[in-house]
Amino acid sequence: MAKDRTHNDDYAGPLRRLLIGVLVVCALGLFFLWRIDSPRVERFRAQVVDRVVPNFDWAMAPVTGTVNILRDFQSYQRIYQQNQELRRELQQMQAWKEAALQLEQENARLLDLNNVRLDPRLTFVTGVVSADSGSPFRQSLILNVGSRDGIMDGWATMDGLGLVGRISGVGNNTARVILLTDSSSRIPVTVQPSGQRALVVGDNSVAPIIDFLEDAGQVRPGDRVITSGDGGVFPAGLLAGQIAVDPGGRMRLRPAADYERLEFLRVLRNYQRDEIGTAGDLIAPDTIEVPIQAQTGGGDG
Amino acid sequence: MAERNNTRLWSMRGLFILLCMFVIFWRLLPLDLVPRNIAGPDLILALICTWVLRRPEYATPLMIAAIVLLTDLLFQRPPGLWTALVLLGSEALKSRSAGLRDMGFVPEWITVASVLVVITLANRLVLALLLVDQAPLGLTLVQMLMTILFYPFVIMFSAMVFGIRKIKPGDAESLGHRA
Repeated sequence: MAKDRTHNDDYAGPLRRLLIGVLVVCALGLFFLWRIDSPRVERFRAQVVDRVVPNFDWAMAPVTGTVNILRDFQSYQRIYQQNQELRRELQQMQAWKEAALQLEQENARLLDLNNVRLDPRLTFVTGVVSADSGSPFRQSLILNVGSRDGIMDGWATMDGLGLVGRISGVGNNTARVILLTDSSSRIPVTVQPSGQRALVVGDNSVAPIIDFLEDAGQVRPGDRVITSGDGGVFPAGLLAGQIAVDPGGRMRLRPAADYERLEFLRVLRNYQRDEIGTAGDLIAPDTIEVPIQAQTGGGDG
Repeated sequence: MAERNNTRLWSMRGLFILLCMFVIFWRLLPLDLVPRNIAGPDLILALICTWVLRRPEYATPLMIAAIVLLTDLLFQRPPGLWTALVLLGSEALKSRSAGLRDMGFVPEWITVASVLVVITLANRLVLALLLVDQAPLGLTLVQMLMTILFYPFVIMFSAMVFGIRKIKPGDAESLGHRA
């Protein structure tokens, strides 16, 4: 028996090592392929997510719901405090409501005067958040809408109030949203009322950094930040949040979207944008093609 | 006898995959959409180390590669690199498992911790060499430390719930069907 086993080991050892070698080479090959031709592998990734995540869907919604109920249950302990807070906030809200009504009427009057038609193409698809990135290093989430619903890479997503992120990676039934807080997120914005242009740069913290401000002196905490539409990344004028200053003196964005409770997201349709299909080409002037055309022309003649 | 052993082997392999899928499922739940300053332990890695050191026939290289590659794809890591490193790490542990079997828990913990440190640093080094955007170093280190700290609990859990213990001379029989 013992002899038998050593024999087995002798036979299985090289085979095992070969298998492991093949696996490691395959994994590293995939990694280098990803480094060289990222879009294709990312599409593959989107497809894997599309296959796997909907299988979890039936369990995800109830489990998430239960955990959230348990969390809410803890807050019952300080229900009196919350009630007081809510009353105070309600009072403030009433003042705001009055102001909003007046502004709405004024806005309607002005629109009527200008005879403005809102862009009918700026419609939206609503999706439900079905999973998050699963890693503390990346800030993204997965929606249950995909290319089946006409979703395309690069579209903006918002919750009821403000910008949440952009679509990156679309499967048939799922789409990944890279949040503003992700360290790879860069969004061009305008700070109102001064009109300063800037970039919102995610850094894996709750409040992304406001970078590349022309004149920081003109910007104050509390100023509204909206998308500028520069570079055709997003439609202009979507509310992103407010300016805040951190203890170190850096300008940061306090997002208007409630990141604690993202359940339903709107994906804004936006057809006027460039698609990224390849890993990228050389940027060269068009004149290079001319000699080739001349040559073929000569051949024909 | 052989029949029963075979059923047990495959059911334990299934259990390992199921456990890993459960961890993946739990991490994908959209509970925390706000960035945090601390990172939880990488439980899948801890599970792999535990099972590879105790019952390598239940966690085969092919299964480990498939599971880690799936997490690479799902959790938005650069696909493949972490898979290769975890495979190499688990093989390194497996080759030392015979020596560690007779020793206590502390030498095993130190070995596992050193393997985790090496593969984490190797991962960062390769990513840095290839100029890939990386997560903050602090967060990576926190995750590594948490994995090391949680390792004993994963061992306890595996031993108490699923009976994954170190192989003793008495039950060498369970190895007989490895081929």
